Amino acid sequence: MLLPILGLVVGLIIGSLSPISIPQEYAKLFSVALLAALDTVFGGLRANAEEKFDTTVFITGFFTNALLAALLVYIGDRLGIDLYYVAMLAFGLRIFQNLAIIRRYFLKK
Amino acid sequence: MLPIKQGQAAIALVCIVLGFMLAVQFRTTQDIKSTVPFQRIEDISQRLAQTEKERDSLLEEVQSLRKSSNKEVLSKEIENVKMGAGVTPLKGPGIVVTIDDSKRQSKTGENPNLYLIHDDDILKVINELWAASAEAVSINEQRLIASSEIRCAGPTLSVNNTRYSPPYEITAIGDPKNLENALKMRGGVVETLQFWGIQVSIKKLDEVNVPGYKGTFRFEYAHPVKEGE
Repeated sequence: MLLPILGLVVGLIIGSLSPISIPQEYAKLFSVALLAALDTVFGGLRANAEEKFDTTVFITGFFTNALLAALLVYIGDRLGIDLYYVAMLAFGLRIFQNLAIIRRYFLKK
Repeated sequence: MLPIKQGQAAIALVCIVLGFMLAVQFRTTQDIKSTVPFQRIEDISQRLAQTEKERDSLLEEVQSLRKSSNKEVLSKEIENVKMGAGVTPLKGPGIVVTIDDSKRQSKTGENPNLYLIHDDDILKVINELWAASAEAVSINEQRLIASSEIRCAGPTLSVNNTRYSPPYEITAIGDPKNLENALKMRGGVVETLQFWGIQVSIKKLDEVNVPGYKGTFRFEYAHPVKEGE
């Protein structure tokens, strides 16, 4: 449990120190990718709680989910379909569901 | 805690990426918030640049036209008249008066207008300067000529049909000592303004620049009277 938290802190420090900033037109895509990543992490925590955790699934899911989400929103933008809100809603709902399951797991323990 | 046994390193890696994304997103959001009307700023600045270019080219045209029409009669008299009319930029010793709104908060029940600069305040200062034999006066780059108006336009001041907001900078050419004394005399205009907390600062300078009047003269109703009529 210590290593992931350490990783998170290191990532936050790298991110805040690096001069990278997303251009405004891509900020939307990036935020969706971020939400997908968050969703995957919570999914991983939940799988871990249910003792079904698989590293390969987790890692591949993390990257493909984020990229696919951004790609879908990008395509939606091009086609004039606002998939941004759909992605937000879907990922947001999943995150809260996973959170609830994780909480129950902790309560049961 | 959670019994994570396998692939802790992999999860840590994912967490690094996640943390990185979080931080970048945080900063991006911050950036966007601080520069929301980005498009608009660009739009307006472009328009400003364009208008400025237009103005400059028109000014050049006016100047060249004036020059060509006056080439034969460049006598001292004409120069004097032009200086008096305020079309030529002038320089010389003088003072710069900077006037800004009061920083004081108005008390409840008091009229906040008392703490703001009004056209009549500026007019009083200008009048005092003329009385102290200022030879040329300008407000924020606008040369005061015979037909210059000074009046409140909402929260701004309109001079030569150009609007300015505080602080106002009044530049006057004349004997710096005389001009300063005229403003600073006991019970004078500066004392009155400062009573309301309006910030007045007077700088005596060996050389100040007063720009020329940039507009044109148009007489629709007035015609010169011919001698002997």
